[in-house]
Amino acid sequence: MRDDTLHEPGQALHVEDLTVTYGTKPALWDIDLDIPPGVMCAIVGPNGSGKSTLLKAALGLVRPVAGHVRFLGRPVGKMRGRIGYVPQRHSVDWDFPTTARDVVAMGLYRQIGWFRRPGADARARAMAALGEVGMQDYADRQISQLSGGQQQRVFIARALVQDAQILILDEPMAGVDAATEAIIIALLKRLRDEGRTVIVVHHDLTTVQSYFDWLVMLNVRIIAQGPVRKVYTPENLRAAYGRQLAMIAVPAEGNGL
Amino acid sequence: MNALIDLISSGIVQTVLIGAALLGAISGMLGAFAVLRRQSLLGDALSHAALPGVCLGFLVAGGRDLGSVLAGAFATGALAALIMMLIVRRTTLKTDAALGIVLSVFFAVGIVLLTVIQTRGGAGSLGLMTFLFGQAAAILRADLWIMGGIGLAALVLVLAFWKEFKLVSFDADYARAQGFPVTLLEAGLTVMVALAIVVGLQLVGVVLMVALLIAPAAAARQWTNTLGTMVMLSAAIGATSGAAGALISATTRGLATGPVVVLIVTGAVLVSITVAPGRGLLWQALAARRARARISDGRVLTTLHSLAEAHDDAGYPAEQGMLQTALGAMPPAAQINALERRGLIRPVTHPPETTPHWELTEAGHAEAAAISGAPDRTQSPDGSQQEGKQ
Repeated sequence: MRDDTLHEPGQALHVEDLTVTYGTKPALWDIDLDIPPGVMCAIVGPNGSGKSTLLKAALGLVRPVAGHVRFLGRPVGKMRGRIGYVPQRHSVDWDFPTTARDVVAMGLYRQIGWFRRPGADARARAMAALGEVGMQDYADRQISQLSGGQQQRVFIARALVQDAQILILDEPMAGVDAATEAIIIALLKRLRDEGRTVIVVHHDLTTVQSYFDWLVMLNVRIIAQGPVRKVYTPENLRAAYGRQLAMIAVPAEGNGL
Repeated sequence: MNALIDLISSGIVQTVLIGAALLGAISGMLGAFAVLRRQSLLGDALSHAALPGVCLGFLVAGGRDLGSVLAGAFATGALAALIMMLIVRRTTLKTDAALGIVLSVFFAVGIVLLTVIQTRGGAGSLGLMTFLFGQAAAILRADLWIMGGIGLAALVLVLAFWKEFKLVSFDADYARAQGFPVTLLEAGLTVMVALAIVVGLQLVGVVLMVALLIAPAAAARQWTNTLGTMVMLSAAIGATSGAAGALISATTRGLATGPVVVLIVTGAVLVSITVAPGRGLLWQALAARRARARISDGRVLTTLHSLAEAHDDAGYPAEQGMLQTALGAMPPAAQINALERRGLIRPVTHPPETTPHWELTEAGHAEAAAISGAPDRTQSPDGSQQEGKQ
């Protein structure tokens, strides 16, 4: 019965009391989190702080020992088609015998349904999504022949093709060059401006202020969350990263976004 | 020739051929997914784990009854797969360690049971040995129906869930995030591999069965970049190798089928890894040689080009000694001849010197400029000509 009632429908992502453990050590401890719709949100934290685990738990890929997660008020099981997920690029074998367009079409497999093959319509939509990330000329390339940045853009196109309201990206800027990073950020900002919610696990503190408008700081627990200009403070950075890094990445006064 | 026709028209040989080809096709098709999912060795563990089941089936039935033997093999294979999954999930051990443990323990139990049965004697106990390395001649016509049924079922499943299997093999996490029943799909693939192993046992044997799963897929991967072609090619290679191996084994007294099949299919892998276009080693070596030659040619041309630029003379004759000093060593005559043939350089004399000299042709200047990425200044001092970029 509870599944039918909306719980916190005003939040794109609502996480309450979430705890995840690997073995006995908590990877996430008592996470309470709200991300409003229409923001571009970074999740930052040091290595091992549980950023990827938070995404995986939210998407139901890891089973939490406690707590619950809602997207726009609904459990993730009822929101599958409306959430676009971009895993870490290194999580798959790029030597898999398939083309860039084929990978993008995988984003439509759910909509196409059981026992049916992707047809001309799916191919056209895959091409359009490739076009949005500037990769239409590489549609028929074997995916191992693409550069790291191009592979990342193919992954993003796969999430785009399903026209999801909420996009979740795990370190999309890892190992891509500056030009690709600029393309990806421009694309994500455009998606945000269209009213979608974009949630990104990010590791580069120096770009947080210019790229994002919402910030979650994580280190097993939630350190801080909210608009970037309120959350990106020396105290919070110290709390998340310890003293050393906080000194490097201290935001300049009055430089808030 | 007549001997071969006689051979093929013999009923036993026909049975063996059809059975082996069927088995090769099934394991080739399913092996393609196993290899892409990096689960090649799962097949090895499953087939070794089938041995205790074969022995238990023998003990329960009190003889070499194929039905109970295969049921036993499937049961212990499934048990092994389950234990491996539990080890990986519940402990910190990784998949390779879990595979190694389960494979050796189950195989050890199987060997113990096998020796127990053999010491107790009995007419059928000798036939049990064929399950170790396989014996094509042991296949009966009735077995073909079992193989055909399993093959057809596997084919229908693979076709029906094609895109789901593809997605799960490429990116299981994404499939799960999309709400696909990934565990069920993966279990389906594993069960089909186990079935292929069970039917392959008496043909190839538990020890070498894995080769018929991995090798056709590994060979097929070299020739294509699409999953559909790879799966079909893998099935074809498996069928051909299986049939060829079975034929040789069935017509030669005392030759176990498993090793023969493995040798044949390994040959296919070897050929594929060497000569397949694009991915083959020979092909890559050739491409590397071409690239080296291109760079080497480029150095000759750019050296001549920069000398011409330095002298502000497009037809500057470079002496052999200068080329040798600039390049570290004189380019081989064959390379010079090739460049002359391509019309990029031409030999000239520069009296009173008697040594050989070369100058760049117009095409040579254009080529050199294209290589260095700079506009060709020697050819177009007034800017009347186009840049030599190609």
